[in-house]
Amino acid sequence: MAEYIKLIDVTKCTGCRGCQVACKQWNSLPAEKTGFTGSLQNPADLSFTTWCLIRFDELEKDGKLKWIMRHDACMHCDWPACVKACPSPGALTRTDEGAVIHNPKFCIGCKSCAVACPFGIPKYSKAQDKIAKCTLCYDRITDGKQPACVTACNTGALLFGRKEEMLEKAHKRAEQVGGLVYPGNPKYETHVLTILPAGIAPKDLSQMNPDPKMPATVLWWKNLFKPFTLIGIGGVAGASLLHYLIKGPHEAHEKKEGEE
Amino acid sequence: MSHHSKELIKVTDATERIAHWILAGSCLFCLISGLGLMFHSWSIIPTLLGGYYATKWMHIFSGVIFAMALVNAYIMWWKECIFEKDDLGWIMQGGGYLWPTDNLPPVYKFNAGQKAFFWCLIGCGIIIVVSGLVMLSPLVFPVVIARWAFMLHALGVMVLGSFFIVHLYLGTIGNPGTVQAMFTGKCTRAWCETYCPRWLAEHDQDPNKNIA
Repeated sequence: MAEYIKLIDVTKCTGCRGCQVACKQWNSLPAEKTGFTGSLQNPADLSFTTWCLIRFDELEKDGKLKWIMRHDACMHCDWPACVKACPSPGALTRTDEGAVIHNPKFCIGCKSCAVACPFGIPKYSKAQDKIAKCTLCYDRITDGKQPACVTACNTGALLFGRKEEMLEKAHKRAEQVGGLVYPGNPKYETHVLTILPAGIAPKDLSQMNPDPKMPATVLWWKNLFKPFTLIGIGGVAGASLLHYLIKGPHEAHEKKEGEE
Repeated sequence: MSHHSKELIKVTDATERIAHWILAGSCLFCLISGLGLMFHSWSIIPTLLGGYYATKWMHIFSGVIFAMALVNAYIMWWKECIFEKDDLGWIMQGGGYLWPTDNLPPVYKFNAGQKAFFWCLIGCGIIIVVSGLVMLSPLVFPVVIARWAFMLHALGVMVLGSFFIVHLYLGTIGNPGTVQAMFTGKCTRAWCETYCPRWLAEHDQDPNKNIA
């Protein structure tokens, strides 16, 4: 099965929010009531019913004002912390295509994924007691279509295609504009890549983790304490049985006559 | 004074036994349901409990009972579980369980191993309960704290779960006659002379003192 990548070219984004609308429409997500906050950021953050949005940043670089509009959604990690943390089988799945999808039917609302995610993507709804997030339009891409957000993008800021092809395109484009490919960490692959404009680093932008990785706490929890819970319980039970077989039970000794 | 070694002596009262079993029952239920949530291959546990969602809530409710029973256990037993000088000697000889010894320091009510289990229970219990409370609403905490909570919850279970097996073995088949202390509350005189001689001596002075 081919793996896919969604490419976000920040240099081409005009912040039209067509992707936000298309995402809502395809996934039947209701609009949110928002207010004016003095920023173009609207809505303020991803939510249970907003799976992608444009992040707006106003920066001063070399004495010049810069507006950065960045499409943000699930990064579809190759080795997703959310899936590793999830206790309910089938609630979160890393698919062969590279999309990380959630299934509300199996979600038990434990919020483990929301805590484990290095990007803060899964969003919880108290009313539903479940989480929701971008699925990379898994229902569309398995049908040969592009994700809804990519279809709606009219400047070419969002592209979708085969992994190898998109990787090549991302690095070519980054070189062209003199910017970075994010996350750009060969040890932390994602199925979403962001091309940042020249002179802009991830730490300059809101809600962009400069060093995304599998949280160490998740590794300790799942790779060490989890197996050692069984090894500990099983080992001690085995040792107890051996003790019983070798030394035998410790009998209460009766006090002999005249001992006192 | 002449006593018969098979004579039954009341070593615990009903309050103590009920407190123990509420603590043990809620702890075991939490352990089993928690293992069912931890290991995907053990889906039989959540299935028997009525599904993953039901298991989550049962785990939480059982955890609340465990937390209350833990506080009660602390209040009931902390004084008798304070380590004293003789406990070192007991530990250095492995409590007489591992190699032959004949000069174990006489124990009052709880030996050093039991005391160690008690403090392990209190320590791990606090870690498990506090991290569990954070895990109930992890998103209101800074993400670092929430992540540590999920990790420490598992660490506490790993330690307590292993120590619990020792407790189970030594409280039942490892030391015949002991389990009665938690069921009928009565153990034989020989048992008391073996496991809590100092307590027995005091008890013989005043039988109404020092139960529970």
